[in-house]
Amino acid sequence: MQDSILGSDLQGFPVDDRPLPPRAGAGLKPAHVADILANRPAIGFFEVHAENYMGAGGMPHAQLHAIREHYPLSVHGVGMSIGGEAEIDREHLARFKAVVDIYQPAMVSEHLAWSTHDDVFFNDLLPLPYTDETLDRVVRHVDIVQNALGRQILIENPSTYVIFEQSNWEETQFMAEIARRSGCGLLFDVNNVFVSSTNNGTSPSDYIATYPLELVQEIHLAGHSVDSDDHGNPLLIDAHDRAVADDVWALYAMVLKRAGALPTLIEWDNDVPQWAVLEAETRRVESFLDACAGPVSPARAGHDQLVTS
Amino acid sequence: MTALSANGAFAGEFGAALLDPDVPVPDGIGGPVGAPAKKRYGVYRNNVVVGLMEVMRSAFPSLLALMGAENFDKVARNFIAVSPPKSPMMQHYGDGFADFLAGFRPLAKSPFLADVARAERAFLRSWHARDAVAATINEIAGMGEAALPELVFEPHPAAILITSKWPVADLFDRRNGDGDGEIDLGEAQCLLFTRPELSVIVQSLNAANAAFAGALLDGERLGDAAACGFDVDPEFDFASGLQTIFSSGAVRTTRPIAPHIP
Amino acid sequence: MNRKTTISAAVVAGALTAALSMAASTTPAHAAKLKCYGVALAGQNDCAAGPGTTCAGTSKVDYQGNAWKSVEADKCEDIVVEVNGMKKMGSDKPLTRDLPS
Repeated sequence: MQDSILGSDLQGFPVDDRPLPPRAGAGLKPAHVADILANRPAIGFFEVHAENYMGAGGMPHAQLHAIREHYPLSVHGVGMSIGGEAEIDREHLARFKAVVDIYQPAMVSEHLAWSTHDDVFFNDLLPLPYTDETLDRVVRHVDIVQNALGRQILIENPSTYVIFEQSNWEETQFMAEIARRSGCGLLFDVNNVFVSSTNNGTSPSDYIATYPLELVQEIHLAGHSVDSDDHGNPLLIDAHDRAVADDVWALYAMVLKRAGALPTLIEWDNDVPQWAVLEAETRRVESFLDACAGPVSPARAGHDQLVTS
Repeated sequence: MTALSANGAFAGEFGAALLDPDVPVPDGIGGPVGAPAKKRYGVYRNNVVVGLMEVMRSAFPSLLALMGAENFDKVARNFIAVSPPKSPMMQHYGDGFADFLAGFRPLAKSPFLADVARAERAFLRSWHARDAVAATINEIAGMGEAALPELVFEPHPAAILITSKWPVADLFDRRNGDGDGEIDLGEAQCLLFTRPELSVIVQSLNAANAAFAGALLDGERLGDAAACGFDVDPEFDFASGLQTIFSSGAVRTTRPIAPHIP
Repeated sequence: MNRKTTISAAVVAGALTAALSMAASTTPAHAAKLKCYGVALAGQNDCAAGPGTTCAGTSKVDYQGNAWKSVEADKCEDIVVEVNGMKKMGSDKPLTRDLPS
């Protein structure tokens, strides 16, 4: 405990019920923080991985405190293993709750994936078959997390590279059912839709057409790399190491047309570029959001007053 | 159907082959035209292993510089296979690397590497440690002479001493990329890591200073800790040792324990 | 405690006085705080994040995949770590590049 956030006495932010603004956000990288604090770019929000702020103190928390003072924050978990067979790790959940309690983020999200089994944490978002049994388990796990945090979380659709023979649910319906039964919201990763659909030999626009977009409260966009499978068919990898692909921008426009403006994150986690490059990607997001017709619902209007510099 | 379908269990079989390339790809997975799915499953294998290798590289930059990327990756790959992470907090991954290196036969001729790993681990622990206000030397400046030898200090949460019979300070320094100077493997060095604010301060201590600092951080009284320094070296520079402790922020607050002080 | 040396209160007081005069001429380092917060040379070691989690895949390849399984490590060739300027340790093989040209 001494060496985790549970043993810290970090100062917390006051309770803050403002939602994430329907604007462009960026994944926060430590190398960009100095630039961001010096220039205070007009970014709608920043998103961090909860696990990287579970230490007891030091620079990571100092940086996140400074960012949180000026921008809305989204906390994105990557290690809860919600899709796993094992029960939720209570100590990890306690650390996660500490991050949320301290930083009072506007949004909290996790993945439809697993990473821990038999005490081994694989540090990757691993896939699960979509069956009645796994659905029950995921719903129970989401419920445990939401109860512990005392708030709704969003669950993100994964990038997948394999199909389980035993799956008898469509992913779109599986996501809808998780949300219906647990009361969670959904985080819609458009690049993941493109990656998984291409890898599965299905149509990404069909996926979008059958997805419960009314439950979506945040969107993710990222770049992917291209490989091929054992049969020579395309195998896309969700590498987050480059600009968003044109196909994905087109799908994003399709989503916005149906769902209206939504907070949209650019994820760039490998081969991280200079801040200016990431910022340019967020401006491209803003141009899509600006073109998105219709008034923004009041519930989604965010902290704009905080980010005008 | 396959073993994957029993009772919704899938993770055991799916996970078993992730870290071991000799375990066959699990049954029951494929692509749109069915099996084989070796390349598809290989994406997960690759993500897991490359991801953990990146973690190891960023946690042990001095070892990476000392061993070279090819050697480091081989050794890290082996470590990952036998000691995969047990926690989603990647800042702790590699805690067992020093012990692994010490027992890794192909590295038996480079026994100093384990201490470098311990030093790199100490740097990260200090980096992420609980924040606390370090004591200044002025806090004890006004105390009566009789009370001074009895003083006990609380170590700052980020203060960590690494002792070694190797030149661990020079070896650790190779992370900064300016590694062309001589390193005398016959020289013993110790390292004190402190972080009174946000920056980790790394200081090389001689044996007497390290004995003094170590005793003080272990909660010994100031007079006894000084004796430890003089035991190691009669020429121990007590004043400079004391100054180092305070200027680097190694102690937190002072707590006089002085039952016999009038 | 079983020390060879015994320390008098006067010795401690003397060391403190000397240490105080040294302390007056030094200031703690706040450089990294400035560097990482504002004035910024991003990517410097002191501002590095250290290891973190990932939610992305990778396009890099694990080239070590089939090499060097742990169970076979005992049969592996030695790795001899040499640093520029470091005295050689335990290397049995002569290294031709060390020969004077």
